[in-house]
Amino acid sequence: MDDKKSLLMRIITCDFILTETALFLDSHPNCADALAFYQKHLAMRKVAAEEYAQKYGMLTHGDYNGQTSWQWTEGPWPWEYKEG
Amino acid sequence: MWIYEKKLQKPVKIAKADPAMAKIIITQLGGPDGETGAAMRYLSQRYAMPNDKVKAVLTDIGTEELGHMEMISAIVHQLTRNLSMDEIRNSGFAPYFADHTTGIYPVDASGVPFNAATFQSTGDPITDLNEDLAAEQKARTTYDNILLLCDDPDVRDAIKFLREREIVHYQRFGESIEHVLDKLNCKNYYAFNPAFTPK
Repeated sequence: MDDKKSLLMRIITCDFILTETALFLDSHPNCADALAFYQKHLAMRKVAAEEYAQKYGMLTHGDYNGQTSWQWTEGPWPWEYKEG
Repeated sequence: MWIYEKKLQKPVKIAKADPAMAKIIITQLGGPDGETGAAMRYLSQRYAMPNDKVKAVLTDIGTEELGHMEMISAIVHQLTRNLSMDEIRNSGFAPYFADHTTGIYPVDASGVPFNAATFQSTGDPITDLNEDLAAEQKARTTYDNILLLCDDPDVRDAIKFLREREIVHYQRFGESIEHVLDKLNCKNYYAFNPAFTPK
């Protein structure tokens, strides 16, 4: 797996952990273990997402960082089949 | 993938309840030219688009329409706050109330539930983008009609914002269709479906 793909998988994994933990926290808002678990993965996600945006482009509009053109429109889009 | 942000695109604050107006405005949630149909239309059509720019436009406008569903829902919610039974009986809101109390359910102004048959996804980018241009105009017409029926400045403020967004989206779809036409195979004189070639 190349660096771009593995970095994206790291973000996707962190995001799923965050989604799952947030859902648990919705009904257990004072669970200290879950809060710490959320915090840890939020920090991991932030580092990975910043590195991805800097090296490979935007995951959200807000990842724009001064480039001379709006790279948001550049493919491939996530639903497209890619060989390899 | 989508992430929820805990805010409205433009805040809605309606001081005075008006269930008769709620019954009209809810058509922009569940009606034939409403925001639900718009979001479903654009987010479904993206997959057949051959151009990355147009995929971006449909993604971004479709996403904004999800936010507009929330704004319409907020307007209807605030217009039906703290109603007395007399207000419900005398406003024309009673038939909706019977099925949904003051919950939010996507129906048109005559109470017909949302129907995906109000939009298309043909797999033909030019056909779909022409529908999108028409859809933005139809939604703008509906907002114009709502403004003719509505005097409350709190409600008009939110509706005017949503109406303006229809106009901006119409412009962006106009550019999108030009972009697709520009990139057509030069032998495709009649602009037949550029996204599907039978093998």
